[in-house]
Amino acid sequence: MLVLTRKQGEGIVIGDDIVIKVIEMKGGNIRIGIEAPHDKKIYRQEIYDRISQQNIESLQWNMTDLDSLSDNLSVRRKLK
Amino acid sequence: MSTLQTRFGEVEYDAKNLLHFPEGMIGLPDLHDFIVMPNRKEGPLFWIQSVDNPDFAFVLTDPTNFFFDYRIVPDSSVKLALQIEEEDPCFVLTVVTVPPDQNITINLAAPIFFASKSNRAMQVILDNTNYQIKTPLPNTKKA
Repeated sequence: MLVLTRKQGEGIVIGDDIVIKVIEMKGGNIRIGIEAPHDKKIYRQEIYDRISQQNIESLQWNMTDLDSLSDNLSVRRKLK
Repeated sequence: MSTLQTRFGEVEYDAKNLLHFPEGMIGLPDLHDFIVMPNRKEGPLFWIQSVDNPDFAFVLTDPTNFFFDYRIVPDSSVKLALQIEEEDPCFVLTVVTVPPDQNITINLAAPIFFASKSNRAMQVILDNTNYQIKTPLPNTKKA
């Protein structure tokens, strides 16, 4: 990982179209401003990681469980 | 027609009818093309089988089957990726997790937008949302 030291108000340019700026440092928090093309997705890392993990977890299923669940869910819907 | 050997057996599919995720799934960016599997059972759950990795398949559902007020709309970058215009229909799906204890959950925090016109889909992470990654289904009990 590339590590750089920046002061408040200074920035980093990545490629030709991404600028990251240190906006403010206060009480252990750092506010960061990001300029990037609209189609570039920007996520808080811990949220991205949790969604990734959930996607991987959701790949673990078996057909028997799905079949019995589908039976229950469809029966419940018919009763309404 | 092509065939794919999956953990559920051999699946036949038409390469022209694949569901395409231009950006893959979140954390799994290489999964681009899926076969939409016909429902074996009546009910709200169905699954999509990855063509890129035959070991991978996701169970999906329309979340409004369970949460009637779940309303989200695609932003312009999503519409661009799905190649749809303002008036084109865009449906919302969610990933279902079916653990061995069958206490299933759906991921309302990272829904999938699906455009029927282009057969493209995209998973997004909702910003500043109260929706949960593991949302239990209402009024469902263990089988």
